[in-house]
Amino acid sequence: MGRLRQKGKAGAAKAYVTRSAAIKKLQCSLADFRRLCILKGIFPREPKSRKRANKGSSAPTTFYYTKDIAYLAHEPVLKKLREHKAFAKKLSRALGRGEWSSAKSLEENKPVYRLDHIIKERYPTFIDALRDIDDALCMIFLFASLPSNPRIPPSLIENCSRLAAEWQLYIMRTQSLRKVFFSIKGVYYQAEVMDQTITWLVPYQFTQNIPADVDVRVMLTFLELYQTLLGFVFFKLYTDAGLVYPPPLDAKRDENAAGVGAYTLQQASDKTDKPAVPKVKVVEVEGRQVSGKDVFKTIKNMASSSNNADDMDVDPPVVENDGGDADEEFVVHPSKSEPEAASSLPTLQSLKSLPQSINTSLFAPYTFWLSRETSRPIFEFLIRSFGGRIGWPESSGGGSPFDESDESITHVIIDRPVVDRSSETDEQRQRRLKRKYIQPQWVADSINAGKILLEAPYAQGEILPPHLSPFGEFEGAYDPAALANEDAAEEEESEIEDEDAEIEDDEPQTATAGALEAVASADVEDSAALRAAELAAEAAGIDPSAFEKEIAKSQRKSKKKSSNGVDEAEADMNKMLMSNKQKKLYEKVKHSQNKRVLERSKLEEKKKSLQKQKRKQGQTIP
Amino acid sequence: MTAPTRSSKKRKQDDEDEALVASNNINIEMQSDEEEGEEIESDDGGVDEFPEIDAGSDEDSEEDWGNGSDEEESDDEEDGANGEGSDDNSQEDLHIFPTAKTIVSDITGQEKRVYPEIEPEYDSDSSTEDTPNRVGDIPMHWYDDLPHVGYDMDGQRVLKPARGDELDRFLNTVEDPTSWTSAFDKKAQADKPLTAEELDIIRRLYANENPDANYDPYEPLTEWFTGKGKEEIMPLTAAPEPKRRWVPSKWEHKKVMKIVRAIRQGRILPNKTKTTSQPQFYAIWNDSSVSHAPPLPAPKPPLPTNSESYNPPEEYLPSEEEKQQWKEMDPEDRERDYLPQKYSALRLVPGYDRFIKDRFNRQLDLYMAPRVQRVKLNIDPNSLIPKLPSPASLKPFPNYKSLRVIHQSMARCVSVSPDGAWVVSGDESGFVGLWEVNVGREVKKWKFNGKIGSIEWCPRTDVTYFVVGTEDMLHFLIPPNLPPSVLQLTQSILAPSTLPPAPEIPSPVKWSTPSSDSWTDETAILTVHLPPSSGLTTQLTWHRRGDYLASVSIGASQGAVWIHQVSRRHSQAPFRKVRGKVQLVLFHPMKPYFFVATQQYVRMYNLSEQKLLKTLQPGIKWISSMDVHPSGDHLIVGGYDRKLCWFDLELSDKPYKVLRYHTRAIRSLHFHPTYPLFASSSDDGVIQIFHARVYNDLMTDPLIVPLKILRGHEITKGLGVLQIKWCNRRPWLISGGADGTVNVWCS
Repeated sequence: MGRLRQKGKAGAAKAYVTRSAAIKKLQCSLADFRRLCILKGIFPREPKSRKRANKGSSAPTTFYYTKDIAYLAHEPVLKKLREHKAFAKKLSRALGRGEWSSAKSLEENKPVYRLDHIIKERYPTFIDALRDIDDALCMIFLFASLPSNPRIPPSLIENCSRLAAEWQLYIMRTQSLRKVFFSIKGVYYQAEVMDQTITWLVPYQFTQNIPADVDVRVMLTFLELYQTLLGFVFFKLYTDAGLVYPPPLDAKRDENAAGVGAYTLQQASDKTDKPAVPKVKVVEVEGRQVSGKDVFKTIKNMASSSNNADDMDVDPPVVENDGGDADEEFVVHPSKSEPEAASSLPTLQSLKSLPQSINTSLFAPYTFWLSRETSRPIFEFLIRSFGGRIGWPESSGGGSPFDESDESITHVIIDRPVVDRSSETDEQRQRRLKRKYIQPQWVADSINAGKILLEAPYAQGEILPPHLSPFGEFEGAYDPAALANEDAAEEEESEIEDEDAEIEDDEPQTATAGALEAVASADVEDSAALRAAELAAEAAGIDPSAFEKEIAKSQRKSKKKSSNGVDEAEADMNKMLMSNKQKKLYEKVKHSQNKRVLERSKLEEKKKSLQKQKRKQGQTIP
Repeated sequence: MTAPTRSSKKRKQDDEDEALVASNNINIEMQSDEEEGEEIESDDGGVDEFPEIDAGSDEDSEEDWGNGSDEEESDDEEDGANGEGSDDNSQEDLHIFPTAKTIVSDITGQEKRVYPEIEPEYDSDSSTEDTPNRVGDIPMHWYDDLPHVGYDMDGQRVLKPARGDELDRFLNTVEDPTSWTSAFDKKAQADKPLTAEELDIIRRLYANENPDANYDPYEPLTEWFTGKGKEEIMPLTAAPEPKRRWVPSKWEHKKVMKIVRAIRQGRILPNKTKTTSQPQFYAIWNDSSVSHAPPLPAPKPPLPTNSESYNPPEEYLPSEEEKQQWKEMDPEDRERDYLPQKYSALRLVPGYDRFIKDRFNRQLDLYMAPRVQRVKLNIDPNSLIPKLPSPASLKPFPNYKSLRVIHQSMARCVSVSPDGAWVVSGDESGFVGLWEVNVGREVKKWKFNGKIGSIEWCPRTDVTYFVVGTEDMLHFLIPPNLPPSVLQLTQSILAPSTLPPAPEIPSPVKWSTPSSDSWTDETAILTVHLPPSSGLTTQLTWHRRGDYLASVSIGASQGAVWIHQVSRRHSQAPFRKVRGKVQLVLFHPMKPYFFVATQQYVRMYNLSEQKLLKTLQPGIKWISSMDVHPSGDHLIVGGYDRKLCWFDLELSDKPYKVLRYHTRAIRSLHFHPTYPLFASSSDDGVIQIFHARVYNDLMTDPLIVPLKILRGHEITKGLGVLQIKWCNRRPWLISGGADGTVNVWCS
């Protein structure tokens, strides 16, 4: 006989704790526990058997891993939270007694917790952090656009907008934006930073109201974490890109609503005159040697940027392909044991020569002018991320590098209906004809297509082609573009047939129709019946080609039916021998498949009916 | 104590308190007259204060007091005894010393002098106390559970006085105006009125005043040391004033200087510079000390699809019904949390009102939703369907209806002759038809009384007859147009000229044969009368040799099963007692085994050894049909709960395979005697043909392949195909349905 095992001492009963038990163990309030869970990224788990995990009770509760809770118990933040509780008591007592000076000194020594160690714990490597900043970016961009209220102090909003601007500056600088999608919820952007795809959603520029059923405390706790996380991530990104973090803010430009333009990106080497502690540290820890060549390069960069008249601070780093780089090519020394192994190593050179999937300097040859009704932050970000130059009227904010009369403007992004231009001057007319007027969707579609699209369908006042999601859908989903291309021919054919049928129906040739019907209904396999039908058709005076077509159609139909029918019947019978478990699984998979197919077919049908309607309208109008 | 001292003492007191005595006496009398029951205690209290008055001074008063004490004292003292006591007292006053009596001792038998007991009452000091309860100052709740409240001087229990119930108490409070100023005295176990002083104390306590009435909180301050002329001129000590009173402390100076120095050196920051609220960022990821694996990243939200576009293709836009449906749905059930919309220009797109709500929900998901790692099933569902040989490769099997024979009512039973050329079918109205399989021509028709429950051909090939089971009877019939030799042999078997000897024990089953001259095609040559009220014979089954025939009838709960031996014209009930209702019986095709199916179990008996071999548990609620494979090693059992169980008899008591494919109850099952086929029929009007290949080696599992679904019977009154039978030598199937048709299905 084995050792007696006591109930509740091992297994699920020990591995899981309920939330109330966890709170009791940590001796903190529910709000503090929630805060801790958010900060530490601890979430409930679903035990395999709830009953076993909860000592036989099946009451609805939340379970956490016991180890997670034990891990929380050692958290310095928890200690700080307790200190804060004590502080709050002391402060309220001091205030209640009217001891202002002690209240002041208490307030000065208020316990403040830092989240650095949590960031490091949750994201041991930089890539881990980068992979998880999607939600953080969404929140930052949301809060950057919120109005301040007693619960959301202006400093928080300021910090969020600063972080948002820093991120946009970095993306523009490294030209790592890949996709953009104007949805009804906002604008989705997708960037590729350090091989990680990062997607974030930015709301359109409207005032957002916080609904009553949203707990702002939860959002603020998340925001606290996200601000710290993004700070560290941006620091790393900026320093790796050789930039100073944080980028200094030009207060005057900021007041003029320059947005992103209020920040200046500084090369790390520019800042040597200032006592920048973090920068020095970075240089040390990264172990990068500042060679003479680098210095030369930066000086050259500086010179080129100063030459730039438009004072653009975000410039793609100039790629120099001079001879110096060529010498330092990677030379493979094949090892003696495995002579072939090393030969396939990809080098930087070989990777560079590969065709790039996306053209990051798509708009480089163009200069854009934003019409005043278009959103400046969106298009400034988009155009500059793809290397274009952009200007905007004073009403959209300050800092435009050029004004409307600039000769270099090639495109005007305009979102207005066409108006009668009878009163324009000759000069204006000249200018208008020189430029291309496009609707905003052109920018997004061009970016997603990876090439400059034809401007004509997007011209001012045109009905826009549909804007499709660049992120694609699940495999086998309805693809509006593909359907249009592939099935066009087939559809046309069927439509023509349909039309024929309609026409024939319209004509009162009952005999003909009857004969054709007979053909359709006749068993195509049965040669005698076929023969009889042919004779009948001849007698009715039907065109032999029409007759053949009809026969082919019915043959195809019957073949499809028969082959499908046989297969399905067999499969259905084989299903009898499935075990119960298999049967259930099969039903489940089939159900989801059918749902997808149904969805797809629904869309396809809708499209067909829409097209038919359109065609009819087209026919009736002329 | 001596009497003179006592009397003198008493006299002295008498003088002092004369006036008081008079008043007290009056008081006592009044009280004792008026209320004898409860107010006596209070009267005791009155006496308490003047304990010595009554004793000697005045006889009236003494008697009064005596009476009072009597009444107050416990009930066990008799009035007479008390009277004696008082008599003794009076005598005692006369004699100074008590006189001794001389009595003979009971123990020693000698004389002894006995003095009367000394009454301490008048001599001792304690006699002055008249409190009967002498327990002292103890918590009185010790006596809560006891009938008494203490002990009197004699050690007798002082019983608790009777207290009225709540109602009495209430009435008292109503009637007695002083009751609210009285309190319960635990020692006396009675209510005592509070004195004026006590009431005053209570009032003062209520008013938060000092309970002492004489206390004056506002006494004028008496100044002893202040004021004019009262100053102390002389110092208290002559010691000189110490220096520390006016010289600054050196040690304090040192301590302060220490802090000052620390501040100067920067060790102490006097006003700690406020830490900037902006978090300081640094290269946190540069030291590559990764001690642990990163936690799993949270799942990312799905990326937006075409329908979320501000300008989607038109087919994505929902119709009015879909919009309505979406709005009516619970937000949690919605497939997507927005309605696709189309705007002709970007400037027309409004702000999304649920943006913050969406973000918030995402955050709730992040910290409140349990995350489960699921392995995504990426299998082709068709790979789950077992791969079986194509039915086309397993021909022949019946796949079409070749002909149809119609009965007037439900065709309950069919049977095929051993040569496979003839079919008999019986219906509910009592008709039995004999027809030919190939063309369906009916040759002969018999009519019986009542329903036909079952029909079975004798499996012997040298003779030709069949048995029809009706209510309480089995009829042995010979089909017409037989070759004479066969007819003769059949007749000789069914009605031999010399009857076998009757069994010793008279059987309840009667075998009867009409006389040979009345033999016709119309009537049965042999009739077996089952015991009366045994009901309709639902099943008949032959042993393979054709001599034994087992019948099951539904009426009788016991004795439903009979085994008839044709050659001996003898019937026997194989089971004395059967647990459960027998549904079906079967002979094993090879061995002397016998299967009996009750409602839920199938039992297998060895008939020669007369013992139970196995109990099979199909797990069916109600068994409807059963058949054994011709090899004898496999058994199929069908149930009204749509299940079909395949048993490998050598493998286990549990089914090897359970199939459920019919939508209604299974009615009939049959293995083909020669082809590897079996069929099942059901109340859904469908016949399912299976290929069932059984291998001789024990390693290979039997192969079951569904081949064909035969439809053609109509469902009548909820019943479908009632019985199916295979033709012996051909893969043809005969089926009788509730719609009155008997169909022949050919390959």
